[in-house]
Amino acid sequence: MDYHSQLFLKSHAVKEHWAMPDYAHPDVLVSTAWVADHLTDPQVRIVESDEDRALYTQGHIPGAVEIDWQVDLQNQVVRDYIDRAAFEKLCAERGISNDTTVVFYGDKNNWWACYAFWVFKLYGHKDCRVMDGGRKRWELDGRAWSNDRVTYPHAHYKATEQDNSIRALRDEVLKHQRAGKQLLDVRSPEEYRGERMHMPDYPNEGAIRGGHIPGANNVPWPMNCNEDGTFKSAKELEKLYIRELKMKRRSPTIAYCRIGERSSLTWFVLTYLLGFGNVKNYDGSWLEWGNCVGVPIVKGAAPSHPTA
Amino acid sequence: MNGVNERLGAIIGEFADLDGREKLELLLDYAAGLPPLPPEYQTRKTAEDRRVHECQTPVFLWPEVTDGTSRLTAEVAPEAPTVKGFVAILADAVNGRPVAEAATLPDDMLERMGLADVLGILRSRGLRAILARIKRELAGTTPA
Repeated sequence: MDYHSQLFLKSHAVKEHWAMPDYAHPDVLVSTAWVADHLTDPQVRIVESDEDRALYTQGHIPGAVEIDWQVDLQNQVVRDYIDRAAFEKLCAERGISNDTTVVFYGDKNNWWACYAFWVFKLYGHKDCRVMDGGRKRWELDGRAWSNDRVTYPHAHYKATEQDNSIRALRDEVLKHQRAGKQLLDVRSPEEYRGERMHMPDYPNEGAIRGGHIPGANNVPWPMNCNEDGTFKSAKELEKLYIRELKMKRRSPTIAYCRIGERSSLTWFVLTYLLGFGNVKNYDGSWLEWGNCVGVPIVKGAAPSHPTA
Repeated sequence: MNGVNERLGAIIGEFADLDGREKLELLLDYAAGLPPLPPEYQTRKTAEDRRVHECQTPVFLWPEVTDGTSRLTAEVAPEAPTVKGFVAILADAVNGRPVAEAATLPDDMLERMGLADVLGILRSRGLRAILARIKRELAGTTPA
């Protein structure tokens, strides 16, 4: 079956890529077709970020470079991101300059792609995009994979100081919570209710206490996505966050999960697809909160304790 | 030196001299060699305790002992080739060997293969947990 008949057959089951006008910032999302048209565009660098990095080795979009969230973006000593100098070096080595259009994609509904996107925004990179649907959609569209080793001539890169308007640290989260501002917990309902405190067989990644931050609503991150890995329509997302949860676009919002990765996807959705004006990702997330001394925690399905 | 460690030693040697990218390529070769799940195990996949809850990727493990020898049967989703390759290596090393030898699988095998740095802290921890679980279950399994 040729590519066009495959597309035709799939067109009823998956999102129509060429119609994304309702998102608040539609330019930030590109289709697989757009990427296919820009594979050799020197202005564009395609970046793959995966949960399982051997996927990139197995096959990546032709010309794409890999940026790994653990090995490349995290400081290997301090629990933090790489510093500004290391970020500049990383970009330079991947042939990314300050004015490059960087398109992120990956496995698992672009979960890690959004995480890498967020780190790029943290260091002030201007033109970042996400390829809607990630690896899954590229595969469904019948597009080619490559396992070539990809290198580019070094570029020059100058990063900004970290942009703290998109990152929340613990003390700020505590103040935000006390003020009763918008909080989103994007973990599974079991984690939110405090029934599961750690992944079974992964005790070292666990927290001492289970539950959620008082006042946080639970919207598990996969609810942002369709079966084919693409993001849900603006209408569906508005229903979820604005009509059902009564969240306000102009109110400050903090999203968190277990280590701040799943919540970077929700941060992306709120900021770019729904046009929320002030969203921060709490990357310390439950792995910090659930181990903190003296911070408030609620167990069970309700966001807050009933007022006495 | 026993059978398990001889086999594993050879595998570690294969990995040790490769660069990061080549290590991942070799891991993919092992992943491709993991046999498909035998039909009699398909129905047992529903048993929640056989599943490793690692970031929602389905990984099912059955470490079993028959007449004193080990057998590791596993199914790992294609979206997780790193886990699949690692499990395939462990199956290669222990299958058909006396169960006592499985207990000697080295806990630092990822470091010795040079994979720990390539995979990062969290993924390596996940794989070490799989290794620990397989060793523990083989040691504690009552003969089938």
